[in-house]
Amino acid sequence: MSYEISFISILEVIITLIIALFIGVLIPGIERKYVQARIQQRIGPPVTSSGLWASIKFLYKENIEPNSPAPGLYKAMPILCFIVVLAIFLAVMPYNYQFMAFSSLIAIVGFLKVEEIAYVLMGSLSKSVMSVNLRFPDHAKGSIRQGLLVSSIEDISSSRSLRMIIFGSFPLYLALFIPAVLSKSIYLSDIVAYQQAHGPFLFTLAGLIGAVIFFIGYMIILNEYPFSIIKAKSDVIEGPYMELASKYRSFVYVTRGFLIFTLGLVFCVLFLGVPPVLVSWKFILCVIVSLILPVIMAAISAFSPIFTNKQLYPTVLTSSAIGVLAMVIALF
Amino acid sequence: MEEKKAKKQEIIETEIQMGTVHPAALEPYRVRFFVEDEIIKDAEITIGVNHRGIERIMEGLPVEKANMLTEKICGICSNSHTWNSVRTAEKGLGVEIPDRALYIRVIVGELERLHSHLLYLGHGCETLAHETFSMRVFYIRETIMDLLGMIGGNRVQYGCSIIGGVRPRCELDDNRIRRILDGMDTVEKNVADFADRFIKDSIVASRISGTGYIPQEQALKLAVSGPTLRATGVKRDLRTDMFEYDNFDYEVITQDTCDVKAQLLMRVLEIFESIKIIRQAIRDLPEGKITDRSWEMVDTGIIESYIEVPRGTLYHSYAIEDGRVRHSIVRTPSMTNIGAMQYACIDNHITDGQLCIVQCDPCFTCSDRAIEVYDTNNNKLDKSILQSNIH
Repeated sequence: MSYEISFISILEVIITLIIALFIGVLIPGIERKYVQARIQQRIGPPVTSSGLWASIKFLYKENIEPNSPAPGLYKAMPILCFIVVLAIFLAVMPYNYQFMAFSSLIAIVGFLKVEEIAYVLMGSLSKSVMSVNLRFPDHAKGSIRQGLLVSSIEDISSSRSLRMIIFGSFPLYLALFIPAVLSKSIYLSDIVAYQQAHGPFLFTLAGLIGAVIFFIGYMIILNEYPFSIIKAKSDVIEGPYMELASKYRSFVYVTRGFLIFTLGLVFCVLFLGVPPVLVSWKFILCVIVSLILPVIMAAISAFSPIFTNKQLYPTVLTSSAIGVLAMVIALF
Repeated sequence: MEEKKAKKQEIIETEIQMGTVHPAALEPYRVRFFVEDEIIKDAEITIGVNHRGIERIMEGLPVEKANMLTEKICGICSNSHTWNSVRTAEKGLGVEIPDRALYIRVIVGELERLHSHLLYLGHGCETLAHETFSMRVFYIRETIMDLLGMIGGNRVQYGCSIIGGVRPRCELDDNRIRRILDGMDTVEKNVADFADRFIKDSIVASRISGTGYIPQEQALKLAVSGPTLRATGVKRDLRTDMFEYDNFDYEVITQDTCDVKAQLLMRVLEIFESIKIIRQAIRDLPEGKITDRSWEMVDTGIIESYIEVPRGTLYHSYAIEDGRVRHSIVRTPSMTNIGAMQYACIDNHITDGQLCIVQCDPCFTCSDRAIEVYDTNNNKLDKSILQSNIH
């Protein structure tokens, strides 16, 4: 089945985008209210408050200038992230499959890498008041060390983001390429066509393992507990986002929800062979899958403490090894 | 020309400050972590940002009023402060306390230990970022808070002890006794269920095992007190020396792994012992009056009293002159445990830093006793300079 670009198709993409944004901002609320709060036997916040109303509310808040060497660049990062997620969203839309380079796994990996690098930049560009105040020596006990290099907690966050780029997101990228190995093509159009002819990859052994690995990578790239080391409340607090206020914080919320939804669409395309076509059952399936993934993620995060290196390294290494195994299985 | 030589500290050591306001800390304090590749090599905790001068306010107040004021030192062990302050006065004045009042004091003291230990577990789980366990513990704690509210009229500041006994409000009738016993059954079952799940959780076990290690020798050297000390294997509990606990049969719990796991399990096991004490106190609750008002106020020298509170050893001391308090000193358990908190952080990942501090059950706000103010040139400012700068 071919999808041609026309006025109708452009309109469909725009409507799909609006629906994606709307569902995206509702996802944090669904996670908090209907998953985590239920697990914790409490009422929880209103479903619209965590994502939707928070995003709208922050639009009207007064901005606080970040303590950054390049405040403009720092504030531009959430917008860059949004553009990147938008690009991934457009890449999975079937009408764009004719732009082969754009609708390929290489492009999706590249876009995700830009999003990850944005965290490194944000962390290194922010030096919030949380780690610079009250620089006094302890006269009562006598300060044990003085005159050291003082690092901000965002610096830690930045170095952790870099570490996540190097190895943390490895499972996701391995999982992305398992459908490519199965279909012998990196282009989304070929991957979808192959699955429409031979059935979804999810029901093959390699595809099933790949889907599990994709999910682990999905949690890692979304910085969700237990993998949220770049914004751990016990040390770096909000990490790279710390000094983003007002409309910039609003962008962060919208982008996060949008990314959750978009990665759900990527999963549908790669493992179910179902592209998001608005006026069909396929779109409903895509929405359901895009909601199931964050619901499972929220349930897992409700039962997990945050990982430190001691837990993170073995988890990532094991997931990557299983991902490689799935790829080997896919080759045969 | 002096040789330029890079100091080791300046090159490879980095300082990361957390606080005085940080979401992982329940109170304002500053901690400086000296790290290498996110591993803490040293830590420095500085308190003093929430000094309220309660000892100074107590000076010259009538003893009864001063006792009431001590309740405001801490929101978690409010009863312990009042109890020890009243105990100090009773010791100096030679007041005989009715047996029933002693038993009620023990019941309230142990209920306070229950809610303090449950708060500790909840905060510990929160610092681990395990929200579900944290919520579960706070849910269990509600039963205790309701019982304390029933006895004293308030959930937090229940002010049970007065000189010569306990407030008439805190008398335990049959209905209250039944509610306490029912509450103990509920808490015992819920804590057992929680502990079972907590211990079996492999991810949690991996986070808490071997983390925040405080060896026994170091704990003794740092004069650590309370459950924090007992979690290093030292069987030392001041309740064994308190005459109020003479008629009760309970075990002094110890753990020997000296890490965060030991500290958390220590509190869980102490909860069961506290429930045991409460049941014994209710079973053997003597009949009779709950307050002896036949005492007379006299001048005393410096009186000292030590009691075992949920976090360790609490010290109160003052003299009585014309019915008023003189030279009041309060030392909370957290004051003696700060050294252990700093030590526990060493060689742990920075994400575990706050957990290592929290494992010693800190209450820094209660420990704030004195402040010194320095200007930017590091000169100490005296009172007159400070007053001239107040606008």
